[in-house]
Amino acid sequence: MAITRRQLISGIAKAGLPAAVAVTVGTDVLQAGEHIAVPTAAVGLLYDASKCIGCKACVAACAEANDTPPDTRLDSLHQAPSDLNDLTRNVIKLYKPEDGSEFSFVKRQCMHCLDPACAAGCPFQALHKDPESGIVTWTAEKCIGCRYCTITCPYHIPRFQWAGFNPRVTKCELCSTRLEQGLKPGCTSVCPTGAVIFGARSVLLLEAKERIKDNPGRYYQNRVYGEHDNGGTQSLYLSRVPFEKLGLPELGEESVPARTLRWQRRFYQYFALPAVLYAGLVQVIRKNLKGHEEEAHEREKETGLRAQL
Amino acid sequence: MSTAVANVDRAQSTRWERNVPVFGFPVINGFFVFLSVLVLVAVVLTGYRELAGLGPVSGMNDAYGWGIWKTFNVMVMTALGSGAFAVGIGAWVFRRKKLHSLMRMALLTSFLAYACGLLLLGIDAGRPWNFYWMVFPWKWNMHSPLAEVAICMSIYAMIPLAVENLPPLLERLWYFDSRLRPVVELIEKRLHYFFPYIIAAAYLLPGMHQSSLGALMLLAGERVHPLWQTPWLPLLYLGAATFMSFGCVAGTTMLCCLVWKRALDFEVLDEAARITSWLIFGWLGLRVLDILFRGAVGTAFHFDRFAGVFWLEILLIAAGGVLLWKSVKTHDPQSMFMGYILSSAGGMIYRFSPTTLAFRPNPQALYFPATIEVLVALGFISLGVVGFLIAVKRLAILPAPLSEWHNMASYFRFRRPYIRWTGYFKYGFFGEDEKLSSE
Repeated sequence: MAITRRQLISGIAKAGLPAAVAVTVGTDVLQAGEHIAVPTAAVGLLYDASKCIGCKACVAACAEANDTPPDTRLDSLHQAPSDLNDLTRNVIKLYKPEDGSEFSFVKRQCMHCLDPACAAGCPFQALHKDPESGIVTWTAEKCIGCRYCTITCPYHIPRFQWAGFNPRVTKCELCSTRLEQGLKPGCTSVCPTGAVIFGARSVLLLEAKERIKDNPGRYYQNRVYGEHDNGGTQSLYLSRVPFEKLGLPELGEESVPARTLRWQRRFYQYFALPAVLYAGLVQVIRKNLKGHEEEAHEREKETGLRAQL
Repeated sequence: MSTAVANVDRAQSTRWERNVPVFGFPVINGFFVFLSVLVLVAVVLTGYRELAGLGPVSGMNDAYGWGIWKTFNVMVMTALGSGAFAVGIGAWVFRRKKLHSLMRMALLTSFLAYACGLLLLGIDAGRPWNFYWMVFPWKWNMHSPLAEVAICMSIYAMIPLAVENLPPLLERLWYFDSRLRPVVELIEKRLHYFFPYIIAAAYLLPGMHQSSLGALMLLAGERVHPLWQTPWLPLLYLGAATFMSFGCVAGTTMLCCLVWKRALDFEVLDEAARITSWLIFGWLGLRVLDILFRGAVGTAFHFDRFAGVFWLEILLIAAGGVLLWKSVKTHDPQSMFMGYILSSAGGMIYRFSPTTLAFRPNPQALYFPATIEVLVALGFISLGVVGFLIAVKRLAILPAPLSEWHNMASYFRFRRPYIRWTGYFKYGFFGEDEKLSSE
C-alpha cells in the first residue's frame, strides 16, 4: 500500500508530538539549587576592599597592559574615569556614606561569572567563556554591536564605544594575552597593598576564607562575594561594608540565565517543538486552503470576476 | 434572476466581497510629499550615523544601551505589524472566514512594519557588517533570545511574509497585459502548491520571535520594574501583539474607508472587534493575575512614574476593550475606531515599557531620544506609510463591495478608452458584454 503525502506528514506529526514534548520537558536543564561546574583551570581575582587604599595604580596599569590610551576626558589632564567606559576596563570607586559611617573603595571589573548572562544573550557568541580558564572574552569579528550585553550583565560591566564607525565593546578580559606570556594581569602586578591578587579560583577562595577565619567580624556577613552569588563568579570580593553598597547586587545563588531562561530555553531544544507545531499547522492550513479555493472559484463563476486568493 | 438585476442589487450591498485598488485619488499629494521628505531626511541622517557612530546621533548611553530604534521601531511597530500572524491565524487556522477580506491589509501592513523595523535594526547595530554570521547556523547562540529574534525576524520578513504578499502583485500583472497571463497563471499555480508550507511558516515564526522579544528582557532581571518583569513576559508580549495587530489592521481599514469614501462592512468589522475584545480581556486577565500571584501588586499603588505608566496602560487597554465590546452591539464606527486606537495605544505603552519606561539600570540614569534619533525613527515609519499609500492605490488591497470593482473598471474605461480593459469584468455594471463594449 502506497503512503500518500498527507499520511506521511500526519504520521510524522503524530509520532513527533510525544517525542517533542518529551524532549521539551525532559531536557537536562540546570535545576534550582544545583551548582554550576567550575572550569577546570579557572583563574580569577580576589579583591579585598578593606585593604584597598584607593591609589588607582591598577587603573593606570590596566590601561597600559591593554594598550588603551588613558581616559583624560574629565579634565583633559588626569586619567580620571568616572566609571567603566569605552577606554576603561577597570576602575576604583569610592563609597562614602553621608552620615560618616564606614567608607570603602571598590574595584570594578568583569566578574567572569561561571554562567555569564552576557554570553547567554550574545547572538553570535562574540562574548565567550573559555571552557578551561573560564575567562569571558570579546571577539570583534563576531560582534554585531547590538549592545544586548550592556542590558543583560547584572554587574553592568561591558561598555559600548559610542563614537566612531567601528565601535568596540570594552570589558576586562583578565589580560588573557599577558597570561599567555606568563605574566600576571596588569592590575594585580602593581597593587601596593595586595588588595587585589590573581590566582586559581580555588586557591583564592581558600585564601579568602582563611582571611575571614583570621579576622572574625571584620568582613561583611563573613562571606566571600562570588562564591555562590549569581551562580558563582571568578572575581571574588571581600568587604567591610554591605556588598550592595559597592555595586554588587544580591542576586541569589542561581545565575541570572538559569533563573530567567530555565523554561524558555526548553522550547527550542533540538527545535523539536517548533518542528511539530509546523507540521500540524501545514496539515490544518492545507485543508482550509482547499475549501477556501473552492469557494473562491464558485464566486468567480457567480460574479464573472477573477478569484482573489 | 438576470445578471443585470443581480448586479444592480449588488450595487446597494455593503458586503466586502473583493479587494479593490483605491482609484480616483492621485498617489502624489501634499501628505505624500511631506512623508517623502521625512524619509529623505532619515536616509541622509543614517549616512551621518554610519560615519559618526551612535553616540553623536542618539540619546543612548552606557546605562540605556537601547534607544527608540530598537524599543519603539522594532518592539512596538512589529507588534502593530503582527496582523499577518494574528488575523491570519484567525482566518486560516480557526476558520473565521469573514477575516479573509482583511487579510491583504494585514499582510501589507505586516510586511511594511517588519521591513522598516528590520532596516532600522541594521542601522542600530554598531557593527552591522558582522551580520553575515547569520548564514552559519552552527555559529548561532541557540539560547540567546536576541539571536532568535534577529534570525527569525529576517527570515520571516524576507521569505513567508514577502511571498504571501505576491498575489496582489501577480494580480496586477494579470490585468496589466493579457500577454502576461499564461506566465502569471503558471507562477500562481506553483505558488498555490507551496502556500500551505509558506503560510504555516508565517504563523510559526512570528509566534516564536514575538514571544522572544519579551524573553529579551528576562535576562535584565531586577532592573526591569516588578510590575513588568515576569516569567510570563514572552506570552504577554505575544498576546499584546495579537490584539494590537487586530487594532492596526481593522483600524487602518476603517480609516482608509473613511478617507477614500468606502462602505463599511459591519459583518467583518463586528467579527474583528469581537475577537479583539476577547483577546484584550484574556490578556488583561493574564496580566493582572500574574501581578497578583507574584505579589507585585503593592508597587502599583506607589506614587511614582512606574505606577503611573502601569495604570495608564491598563486603563487605555481596558477602555479600548470595553468600547470594542459595546460597538459590536451598536455597530457604531466611531466607538469601534476609538476602541482600536485606545487599546493599541495601551499595548504600545506596554511593549515600550520593559525596555525603556520601566527599565531602571541605576537611579541616576536617564534616557531621552536625541533629535536625530527621533527624525530617523519617524523617517522609517514614514517609509512604511509611503509604501502603504502607493500599494493601496496601485494594488487590490483594501476590501470593498463588489460595486466598487465595477465602478473602478468603468472609471478606468472612461479615463483610458484606448486601453482594452479585458478581464476586469465579464459583465459590466448593467450586464453589457465586455467584448462588445470594448470594441
